[in-house]
Amino acid sequence: MAKIKKRGSSGASKNYITRSQAVRKLQISLPDFRRLCIFKGIYPREPRSKKRVSTSSTPSTTFYYTKDIQYLLHEPLLAKFRDQKALAKKISKALGRNEVGEAERKERNLTPRLRLDHIIKERYPTFVDAVRDLDDALSMLFLFANLPSTAEVPPKIITKCQRLTREFEHYLIRTHSLRKSFLSIKGIYYQATIQGQDVLWLVPYKFVQRTGGDVDFRIMATFVEFYTTLLGFVNFRLYTSIGLVYPPKFDLKAEEQGAGLAAIQPEGQNAEEREEDAMVTGTNEKAQAEADRLLSLPDADGEQQEPAKAAAEQSGADTEEQAPPANTLDTFQSLDAKADALLQPSATADSATAGHLFESFTFFLSRETPRHPLEFILRSFGCKRIGWDMSLGEPGAYCGENDKRITHQIVDRPDLPLPSPPATDGEADEEDGTAVRKGNERVPGRVYVQPQWVWDSINAGQLQRADLYAPGATLPPHLSPWVKARKGEYDPTLSLAEQETAAEIEAAEDGEGSEVDEAEADAALEAASEGEEVAGVRGDSEAAELEEELSEEDGGMDVELAGSDSEVDDAAAAGAQPDDEWGGFSGDEADDTALDAAAKATRDHQAELLAEATGQKLSNTSSAKDQKKAAREASQARRAREEREAREDGERRKMMMPRRKRKMFDKMVYSNARKDEEAEKLRGKRRRIENVGGARAGAGAGGK
Amino acid sequence: MASSRAGQKRKVVEVPRPEAEVDEEELENGELDGVLIDDGDSEDDSDEEVNDDDDEEEEDVGDEDEELDSDEIPSSEDEGEADVRQQLRDMKTTRAGTPSEKLVGSDTGKDISTISADTPVKALGAVVDVDDADKPNYRVDIDANGNPRYVYGEIDPSYDSDDSDAPPTANTIGDIPLSYYDAYPHIGYDINGRRIARPAKGEALDSLLDSIDLPEGWTGLTDPSTGKPLQLSKDELETLKKISRNEAPGDGYDPFPEMVYYFTGREEVMPLSAAPEPKRRFVPSSHEHKRVMKMVKAIKEGRIQPFREQTKEDREEEEAQEEFAQYDVWANEQARADHPMNVPAPKLPPPGYEESYHPPPEYLPDNNEREEWETQDEEDRERDFLPRDHAALRRVPGYEKFVKEKFERCLDLYLAPRVRRSKLNIDPESLLPKLPDPSELKPFPTTCAAVCRGHEGRVRSLAFDPEGRYVASGGDDGSVRLWEFTTGKQMWRVKLSASEAVNVVSWRPSRDAWILAACCGETVYFIVPQSELCAPEVEAASHAILDSGFGYAADNPGKTAAGVDKPTHSSWSRPNSAMQDKGIMLQLTLRSTPKTLSWHRRGDYFSTVSPATAATSTAVAIHTLSKHQSQYPFKRLKGLAQTVCFHPSKPLFFVATRQRVRIYDLQQQKMEKELLPGARWISDISLHPLGSNLLISSYDKRLLWHDLDLGTTPYKTLRYHSKAIRGVAFHPSLPLFADASDDGTLQVFHGKVVGDSLENATVVPLKVLRGHRVVKELGVLGVEWHPREAWCVSAGADGSLRLWT
Repeated sequence: MAKIKKRGSSGASKNYITRSQAVRKLQISLPDFRRLCIFKGIYPREPRSKKRVSTSSTPSTTFYYTKDIQYLLHEPLLAKFRDQKALAKKISKALGRNEVGEAERKERNLTPRLRLDHIIKERYPTFVDAVRDLDDALSMLFLFANLPSTAEVPPKIITKCQRLTREFEHYLIRTHSLRKSFLSIKGIYYQATIQGQDVLWLVPYKFVQRTGGDVDFRIMATFVEFYTTLLGFVNFRLYTSIGLVYPPKFDLKAEEQGAGLAAIQPEGQNAEEREEDAMVTGTNEKAQAEADRLLSLPDADGEQQEPAKAAAEQSGADTEEQAPPANTLDTFQSLDAKADALLQPSATADSATAGHLFESFTFFLSRETPRHPLEFILRSFGCKRIGWDMSLGEPGAYCGENDKRITHQIVDRPDLPLPSPPATDGEADEEDGTAVRKGNERVPGRVYVQPQWVWDSINAGQLQRADLYAPGATLPPHLSPWVKARKGEYDPTLSLAEQETAAEIEAAEDGEGSEVDEAEADAALEAASEGEEVAGVRGDSEAAELEEELSEEDGGMDVELAGSDSEVDDAAAAGAQPDDEWGGFSGDEADDTALDAAAKATRDHQAELLAEATGQKLSNTSSAKDQKKAAREASQARRAREEREAREDGERRKMMMPRRKRKMFDKMVYSNARKDEEAEKLRGKRRRIENVGGARAGAGAGGK
Repeated sequence: MASSRAGQKRKVVEVPRPEAEVDEEELENGELDGVLIDDGDSEDDSDEEVNDDDDEEEEDVGDEDEELDSDEIPSSEDEGEADVRQQLRDMKTTRAGTPSEKLVGSDTGKDISTISADTPVKALGAVVDVDDADKPNYRVDIDANGNPRYVYGEIDPSYDSDDSDAPPTANTIGDIPLSYYDAYPHIGYDINGRRIARPAKGEALDSLLDSIDLPEGWTGLTDPSTGKPLQLSKDELETLKKISRNEAPGDGYDPFPEMVYYFTGREEVMPLSAAPEPKRRFVPSSHEHKRVMKMVKAIKEGRIQPFREQTKEDREEEEAQEEFAQYDVWANEQARADHPMNVPAPKLPPPGYEESYHPPPEYLPDNNEREEWETQDEEDRERDFLPRDHAALRRVPGYEKFVKEKFERCLDLYLAPRVRRSKLNIDPESLLPKLPDPSELKPFPTTCAAVCRGHEGRVRSLAFDPEGRYVASGGDDGSVRLWEFTTGKQMWRVKLSASEAVNVVSWRPSRDAWILAACCGETVYFIVPQSELCAPEVEAASHAILDSGFGYAADNPGKTAAGVDKPTHSSWSRPNSAMQDKGIMLQLTLRSTPKTLSWHRRGDYFSTVSPATAATSTAVAIHTLSKHQSQYPFKRLKGLAQTVCFHPSKPLFFVATRQRVRIYDLQQQKMEKELLPGARWISDISLHPLGSNLLISSYDKRLLWHDLDLGTTPYKTLRYHSKAIRGVAFHPSLPLFADASDDGTLQVFHGKVVGDSLENATVVPLKVLRGHRVVKELGVLGVEWHPREAWCVSAGADGSLRLWT
């Protein structure tokens, strides 16, 4: 008779091991086990059936692969951990004997140093593997570089993170491998392409990070320890691959003065390169000469054309058009709409074009702009001459604010007063430099843009229209460069007409009568967002006031106006809107349409009466309307029929599927329907917003 | 030592004492009871005494005892010692002990005791020897015969030895404990083999006397070798005292005797090994030299440096060195194939539009969404943030949960189990099976072309005439009607019964005649609708067919083999003239109500099924029209027959019972096959015109397609109706079939059967025809196909017939 097999002696239960078993097997403490797992990248597994795997009656939650744990047994770090434990015992013994000096000496001399080199090599056998896994490392290190030093986060770690991240940024600047960036509410996303791998990371805004009680910094510190080692090696490899010395020279004095990026000076590996590689600063004569030469180009153009801003923009476009780099890719435009469209690489996909985007400009960063991200982005897209206000840190600035060489000034203020009446329109203007400039006035001959211009330009791969981003202007929406529009999903870059389904168009047309509700809702929406915005203002109330004044000057775009109007009309509107949720915020256009409808109805009635009296048929306007209506009904009927047919066909085919497949199909249909619903909701919102905007514009035009 | 003693003490208490005394006394006295009691008493006493003694001893001699113990050389003769002690204790139990007794427990004590026991006795013996030296060793006696007999005196073993250890008196038992003799009256044997009598244990009075006037040297101990009281002299006691006080025992005692060297440096004349001393003992080691020279070299080269404590600068320098990568880890990188078990951490998805600091306005939440988000539990939220709009970059505040999010990401990285999930990111359309386009499957009925109304109550059955011009129908109102189905016009009607419903109408399937069979109640009526609807010659032919049977029946009355009239369950007769006027030419009355009627293809035979019959043998009947004959083919039918049908080309007969379908060969009169459709209650069957496929409809909502070539289980099971299926019908010529259900719908399928058996039939659902009302949970009761066109007519419970084209 065969021997009865014992439970848990083979199969899945052999392959898995619970966490407590693992800890017991390795003979280390749980925190040490945690560290080891983090270092070695070992994570729990989900067995197919937990019940079959667990050998004990109590349900365990965390399972590891037995082989993973077995492989940990040979880890040299394990010995280090044990040494550490032994040392801790020795020290506590010494302290118990009141031998403080002895304890100190032991701690100093016997503390084992953890080297993670072999783990790096083990986890990432090739460099590309390491780059592929750099996302989390960079996000984490950038966060730690921005943290204040506390008991949990010693300043040493922070400076190390700062240095490593700066070095990494220098590499990106040098190779122009930054591709995209995105201003989100969480922070700034950057994407770089290194050796064909896309690396995406998030850098927080420069604020003091709130650290709640539920964050365990020991775990994060373990991760940071690993990530710093990783990024150190990655930096070494990156620097040496482009012929730079690693570690680069770190100017402590400059750093203390707030030099930021300029505190690190990468050097070439041989002496000749060193001069060239030094970052261009105001003191570098060679670079200065080059800058002057480059600067003279747009100036020459500017003499011929009237607005300097347009000129600058033009020149930027010209230089791009004049010398299209031979090695850049062409854009293929499909002639037939039905043909398949091939995926094309974006304009910033190669470093050659990326390196020239801002090459010919000199930027000045106003004091309220975030200097570090702007400097980093501008430099990695080819800009060599960046000046900033002295309050943002002295060293490294190319020039002061009054420098004549500056072509673009990045400002983030409500609006700047103009030194003289506008020449053409209120956006930008040329003015002779002799006029005395007040402290807050614009300097003629420069393009003033908001920071978003930089981001939108690099994401689009070409310079955006600067007038849209002028200070005080309402910015176009800032869109994520990573969202790829898919069929059936909502795409804010396209017009509504391009993506609406027929049913929605119909519904919209039908719903014109009931527009009142929508308009209301929309007004509410807008009011809500406006309120939120006002709440979000941080202390620059005068700026807000200024903005308000400006918008009043512009006329027509302000919601406050509408609100004040609606207050007057409110009583009248209340009767027409029984389900008025946001009574105070109903837009005036809603009332307009309501009134319009009423007036039209009375007019029609009059016409009918008249026709009856005279014995004539109704006027052709109404018949035309009827025709339209009939056509619409016909199309509706047709669509309904088509839909029904499609549905029936689907049903028919579904009938032939086995039950399991049918269930899966239903699931997929469900999830697709959810996506569609979301897209539809967005489209609906957009339509309402557009309607309101259009009505308001119409009202504004009528008012004028 | 103390512990071992304690252990022995414990052991001693446990050791059973020899029962010899008891035996002895028993033997001597012969009083058992008293003995036992006495003995017990005495034991108790002695125990108590021992205990007392022990206590006293411990008080008195405790320290001395310990000192003695500590001075002792750890003895190798533990056993002997143990024996002695055993003896002593045994004696102790019998005699009262004195303080000095304790001393005897130790080795020294033992020695002393032996010495002291021997010495006086020996002296006595020596005196005796001297006196008897000159006497002859024998004396002459006269024995019983009067002869002289030499009686030798006792041999005096004068060894002349000064061996003081040997006891002169002579208990020859040797080194065995005296306790062995406890059971005997003697304590050993002298040199002559005589028993040495146990010294008389003093009577109570003797002992009292003894205790009163103690002789010189009385100790109260018993000499273990002689069994006599041990007496110690004054000197001996003094010696003992000194020893117990750790003093020199006497004048002649040398505490430090000269050491005897057993192994000395003196060279022996005969050494153990004669090998000469090797040379290596005299020359310096070259190996050591080598090692030393290595060290010297290393020191000279600076490889070995004297230990120096690290200074702070050193340490900082070292740390700075270690802080930055000094070499390329991937200098000689080798790609490693990824292990399938290794699941790399999934990357975080890139941000979407709604995460922008200034998103398009449609992404901003309105008040409802905001409220919903805020009220939701944090884990249920689809996004962990609310989209917000900031008009300018300067207004963007810091993100509160940044650190938390990163921390959670860390937790995910090392705590979350990773599972590879294949995500189905395909168009659901692609899952749908590819079906031929319905337009390619045309023609098939799609719409209701006409409605024939007129029946009161349900229409139970309907039938197309063989020409395909009219539809006959029968219903609950007991009438049979003929319709021109294209227009829905009623052409002709006859009322068969006022009370009973017409269950079946069926046309005789040949074109040369025009005969309609209708089952109403227990009667089957054969009707030739008399009107101008058919050609007169056809009508005449019909009459002829119906009448021919009468002649046959008259000629050949049914007889059994025995000549007795067969018991008839059916009667063929002419109806009354009123009925004949209406066109009813023949009637067949059965014992029970036939529910179905199906014709053989030639039109001569037909079969009726009356499921409600009392005997299952009469449920199925096959009738011959030309002979007016009825046969009941089954003597006993398993199950309740539901419906039957004839094979279109072979002599096969299909009988459907409630759950099975059996196929009988009519020629060989045996069962060919049994189909197991798996339905609970079969409602109807329909045979494909080619005869190789059978459709079975059941009241449990299933439609089953049986390929007769394949096996006994269904080839396809179709469940598309929500209610029971009442009927099913194959189209006679086109690859179509339809079923009628109680949910008020008909479903039309494309069912293509290929002639060769290599290819399976393809079934494609085509159309769901809706139109009939559901009345009292009954929808469509029957469906029939036009003989040529792709039209079908359905009979509804709502009293209407519908033509679907």
